Amino acid sequence: MKILFEIFENLKMSFESIIASPLRSFLASLGVMVGISIVILMGWLLDGLDNSFQKTFEIIGADMIYVDKWDWTGGKSWKLLRNRKNLTLEQALKLKENHTSAERVIPNFNQWGGTVQFEKETIEGISVVGAPSENQHTPAGDLIEGRYYTEFEDNQAEQVLVIGYNVYKALFPNGKAVGEIVKMNNRKYEIIGVVRKRGTFMFDFIDNQVFIPINNFIKVYGNKSRSVNIGVKAGSKEKLDEVRTETIGLMRTIRNVKPEAENDFSINETKVFEESIAKIRSIIWLAGIGLTMLSFVVGIIGIMNIMFVSVTERTKEIGIRKSMGAKKRSIWSQFLFESSALTFGGALISIVVCSGLIYVARIAVIKFFPDISEVVEYFPPYLSLQLVIIASSVSIVLGIFAGLIPAIRASNLDPVNALRAD
Amino acid sequence: MESKTVIDIENISKIYEMGTQQVFALRDVSLKIGENEYVALMGPSGSGKSTLMNILGCLDTPTDGKYLFKDENVKEMTDNDLAEIRNREIGFVFQTFNLLPRANAVKNVELPLVYSGMSPSKREELAEQTLINVGLGDRMDHKPNELSGGQRQRVAIARALVTNPAIILADEPTGNLDTKTGDEIMILFNKLWQNGNTIILVTHEEEVAMHAKRIIRMRDGLIESDTENPHFKVK
Ligand SMILES: Nc1ncnc2c1ncn2[C@@H]1O[C@H](COP(=O)(O)OP(=O)(O)OP(=O)(O)O)[C@@H](O)[C@H]1O
Ligand SMILES: [Mg+2]
Repeated sequence: MKILFEIFENLKMSFESIIASPLRSFLASLGVMVGISIVILMGWLLDGLDNSFQKTFEIIGADMIYVDKWDWTGGKSWKLLRNRKNLTLEQALKLKENHTSAERVIPNFNQWGGTVQFEKETIEGISVVGAPSENQHTPAGDLIEGRYYTEFEDNQAEQVLVIGYNVYKALFPNGKAVGEIVKMNNRKYEIIGVVRKRGTFMFDFIDNQVFIPINNFIKVYGNKSRSVNIGVKAGSKEKLDEVRTETIGLMRTIRNVKPEAENDFSINETKVFEESIAKIRSIIWLAGIGLTMLSFVVGIIGIMNIMFVSVTERTKEIGIRKSMGAKKRSIWSQFLFESSALTFGGALISIVVCSGLIYVARIAVIKFFPDISEVVEYFPPYLSLQLVIIASSVSIVLGIFAGLIPAIRASNLDPVNALRAD
Repeated sequence: MESKTVIDIENISKIYEMGTQQVFALRDVSLKIGENEYVALMGPSGSGKSTLMNILGCLDTPTDGKYLFKDENVKEMTDNDLAEIRNREIGFVFQTFNLLPRANAVKNVELPLVYSGMSPSKREELAEQTLINVGLGDRMDHKPNELSGGQRQRVAIARALVTNPAIILADEPTGNLDTKTGDEIMILFNKLWQNGNTIILVTHEEEVAMHAKRIIRMRDGLIESDTENPHFKVK
């Protein structure tokens, strides 16, 4: 109870002392405010980036690995990759047959640079994907209209087409695509489904994909000199390690890779993105931390200075308090409360100002850069509770840091000497 | 009847170093004061009265000598022990009042109670009652610069009395008061003494000193005389 009264008393005193000279208090905490604002904005930026990356992972499938001739990481030389033997459909089917841990094994072929035409509208730069009907169980199977082709239609190599969102928007601005006949690379296809928008500002091309039955793809484009890309769905992120190990083992057997030789195929998964994202994150952090540290140092010096002034101005008061029975603890806690109240107040101002900045920034992007306005979706319109808590606690720690030496000096004053000060 | 000794100083001296010069504020002063004594400390200006009071009040430390407060050596006490003594055992009235300039009368009187951990509502109640007792019931919200010298002195006295300390050290408590209020304050001190408190007060007025049972006269940092007050009568 006693300690509560003392805390309450300290809070009251620090509040009174701060509002006694508001401008001085504001200027003193300016450095801390700048630092805290950088922390807040950086945290918010990283949150937004994380959200958009997360969305990207969903497109690719966080529980999927892709066996491919090509490598996503770009770590291997292009020549080495080019000299690999193609992955064949037969190998993919063998993998599917023998896999025990994977939920699904889905081969697919890709043909870049296609054109789709509907009445007078044309869209170019389309990527034609030939995949079995099972492909509807991957992230590409989430439709906003129509249906996926069936196994029967696949086996019959029917001329049916599931289009990506960009194709849909370009050719059917008024909606209603299912049932229409379009010309793709000069062949007629019936649209049976439309995939939900998947791309983000970083992964926009994914909505330029269209899907046709794999047997139709083979009939139209052939599979002789093509390498198949095999999607292996683990079913959950936890199963990824097991599924990856089995996949590599099976593929090595299927492709007769000698025990001591390297894999002659690549395993691609979202993990490689996670690594490069971690790199981007740390670059942002490093840049931010540098600026933050700088402003914190300036901020701490500002607060420390004002606290020394405050101790000097109130030497007599300290003498009075000590002669009335204040312990050292009461004196130093009084000054620590005051310095922390200064920095905490600064943090509150930063939080309000940054919230305003974020609000304005989102509106400005939507208004002046409508092309990328969807970016805004990934950047939250308010500061997360976590950020607010971090900013507040950091500010209090800073306040304690800055106030420590002045507070100790105040508490060590000799009562009679302090009383003699004016 | 021999009372219990509460204050016992032996060969206390206080030397101020002023550059190359040494100022002997107290030289080898020894003194015993028992429970419920009523002592007046007299002497010309600069004779060391305030210096002695500060030491007795555990605010200042002597350059030399031994101070036993209630049989305990003050030199061996921690900062916290000293703070407790200042807070609970002693009520100190400063010659120069030493009030908090930004706080009103009630808040000033509450100050020692803040450090004894009393609840805000109880504190305020007690402080107001004590201000009424010193005749300042109508000046509770006034800040020191809104009070006359005598009124400030009474706030300082109320602050010393509010914790109901066993020992009251008052440095010229009537120095700024007219005869009438001075008398009122002295009646208050008499009452406290009759209730069992120990009272030590500094004064240069013989009239005020006559209230005390024992009169100590100082000169140049030395005790010149220490006698029973022959004119003392219980009122
Ligand atoms: N901080 C100090 N530095 C140097 N000398 C001091 C200090 N405090 C007191 N003195 C000296 O010590 C001596 C005693 O001072 P003290 O204040 O005790 O006198 P006093 O008896 O209370 O006088 P008064 O009746 O005027 O209040 C004086 O000569 C004074 O100059
Ligand atoms: Mg004096």
